[in-house]
Amino acid sequence: MPITTTRRRLLAGSVATLALPAFARAQSAVKPRLTAISQWSAGSDGAAITALGKKFEEKGGVWQHSPVPGFTTEMMNKLRAQIIAGDPPACSQLKGPEIAAWSKIAPTVDLDALVAAAGYEKVVAPDLAKLHRPAGKWIALPLQIYSTNMLFLSKRAMDKAKADKTPVTWAEFNDLAEKMKSGGVAFPVANGGTRPDDGQKFEAALAGISPAVYRTAIMNLDEKALKAPEIKAAFAQVRKIADWMDPNVGAQHFSTNLKRFVDGDMGMMIMGGWAQGVLRNAGFKFEDFVIAPGPSDNGKPVFLLNADAFIFWQRKEPDLQAGQTLMAQLVMDPAIQTMYSQITGSIPVRTDVDLSGEGWSDGQRRTAAALKEAIASNQAVLSLAHNMAQENGMTAAMIDVITEYVKNKTIKPEQAATRLADAVEGAR
Amino acid sequence: MTIAVSTGPGRPAASEIVRRLPEYLTIWVPLLLSAAHLIAFSLWTIWISFTPSTLVPVTGWVGLRNYSAVAASRNWQIALDNLLLFGSAFVLLSLATGLILAILLDQRIRGENLLRSIFLYPLAVSFVVTGTVWSWLLNPGLGIQKLVHDLGWTSFRFDWLIDRDMAIWTIVIAAIWQSSGFAMALFLAGLRSVDADLIKAAQIDGAGAIRMYRRVILPTLWPITITVIVIQLQFAISTFDLVRALTNGGPGIATQLPALVVYDLMFQRSLLGRGAAAAVLMLLILLAVLLPYAAWRYIQRRRAKHA
Repeated sequence: MPITTTRRRLLAGSVATLALPAFARAQSAVKPRLTAISQWSAGSDGAAITALGKKFEEKGGVWQHSPVPGFTTEMMNKLRAQIIAGDPPACSQLKGPEIAAWSKIAPTVDLDALVAAAGYEKVVAPDLAKLHRPAGKWIALPLQIYSTNMLFLSKRAMDKAKADKTPVTWAEFNDLAEKMKSGGVAFPVANGGTRPDDGQKFEAALAGISPAVYRTAIMNLDEKALKAPEIKAAFAQVRKIADWMDPNVGAQHFSTNLKRFVDGDMGMMIMGGWAQGVLRNAGFKFEDFVIAPGPSDNGKPVFLLNADAFIFWQRKEPDLQAGQTLMAQLVMDPAIQTMYSQITGSIPVRTDVDLSGEGWSDGQRRTAAALKEAIASNQAVLSLAHNMAQENGMTAAMIDVITEYVKNKTIKPEQAATRLADAVEGAR
Repeated sequence: MTIAVSTGPGRPAASEIVRRLPEYLTIWVPLLLSAAHLIAFSLWTIWISFTPSTLVPVTGWVGLRNYSAVAASRNWQIALDNLLLFGSAFVLLSLATGLILAILLDQRIRGENLLRSIFLYPLAVSFVVTGTVWSWLLNPGLGIQKLVHDLGWTSFRFDWLIDRDMAIWTIVIAAIWQSSGFAMALFLAGLRSVDADLIKAAQIDGAGAIRMYRRVILPTLWPITITVIVIQLQFAISTFDLVRALTNGGPGIATQLPALVVYDLMFQRSLLGRGAAAAVLMLLILLAVLLPYAAWRYIQRRRAKHA
């Protein structure tokens, strides 16, 4: 009998203790909480979002991030499932025209007041800002920017080619590749074999040849522009690049070949700025490689924009709403953007962040300078391969043509150009 | 005896039903659930295939537009060609490999159990693992070709994985490796169940080993052969994980298969309506295999009844 009483008391006591925090929470202001999903789980991306989570917790928030590893589309499948189930995350990774498409299927949060308070609009590239307020109101916030057409040069391959000048135009690029080839670099172009990888080769070629045609043909899908001679020229350049690549890569990821690139077995890599983070994370030094803007025939840098962003989904819970406000403030904070970009190798979205200080690489400084210059000369365009220029369906139809062309050397550039125009018609 | 008289034929007593309740529950509940599941989702998919759904399912009617868009796409056409080639090559070759292995194992050899386990073992490995391992073995820069080069034969070429005309054969190779053990197991069971009297009679008539197999044993195996063909065919039609791990539809889009196209449309391109249409087309291809099989089984049973 006495034992039962004790147990009962214990039970009552523990129930009271458990109930206390909930009671206390209801009494005071809510503790901000954020449910978020993204594809960033490992490497520099994983490290960066974990650091962001720590900052969120330092401000008194509860950070609940569920990463979905793999391509962005895998993350989208989870997002779709959660939206259909009526339980969207408070915030999720999403970018480009997908922000507009997805905002039609579930209500999003109006961020206008927060954006105005932070003065964010003035410091974001105009083309980019447009993507994040599809119906006039800010519903998503860009977090970091990459250029998908950065040119990485292997120092050892440059030594083999006895070259020290960074190529500016495609003609110079081709010269250097030939020099590398005769200097004993087995494959002048390092690469992976994934679809975005092939797509990047094409977009870098076309935007480098003519940013104006890239804008009309790829971003605006203008029928006439899709038949322009520049498209054919871009495919011809892609063929040259493909001939310098290692055919054995199959469907491998570009990171598989980074060691051969640093060793000088492969010479140049046309890749997004994120490759810097991957190279650094793999233990390679800044002395091993040079980063420069991708080839541009008019000499002025062309910037193929790829920007990661967070979209905010409407939730009724007060703690999630508080979490969204805190998250939005953090994402727009220059100090947070600095921390994030220094981990991943990207550049901040804010054009007013000073990159001269410690923690930034020459490559990042050059990228940021290229972005400013490209915006000024209207040569900052949106990446096709990384789903910034078109929605997924259209992008996939176009990349089908490009990836088949890269791998099938019997297709002629003019055939590929026709097929590209047909694919666009078919996917419209 | 007395119980049978009191209840009458065909009408089990209440106590009998109660006694057998666990049996009914274990059979009928899962069966109804899975049937409902299967039918409901098939109908749902068919409905979606006639709607303009993209990111999420929506109502609306677009008629056969999704179907014509899928049928006209290059991906789907390549996938169908590949399915025809892959399906027939895979079924015939795995059948042949399985039969040869079974006949060889049937020679009362020592270590039969061990060998049988070895040949059956690939079946225990998931297709993703099979695909990944073969993608390394077949990669010219890492696998077999490199091994032979390192051994000194540098002109040796085995680069099917990156050759867009031959890449589909790498999937055939991996699929055969995986599932010929299964065909072997079924054939072996068939060989073991051949009537001993038949074999003895043939021996008395002086038939040699080859003749015995050709004239006596193999003809009794044909019902098993048809079963193996149907099972392998439905596997071939729905192949997904193997290709995804081995070539991911590449080089380029050279090794697309219908299941990959469905996944690609639904989840990579967010075109649910078109993806559903492709899935329904896949279902029709499957039915084209399964319905004749069901009809054949029905005729067989009726013939057996009459005989």
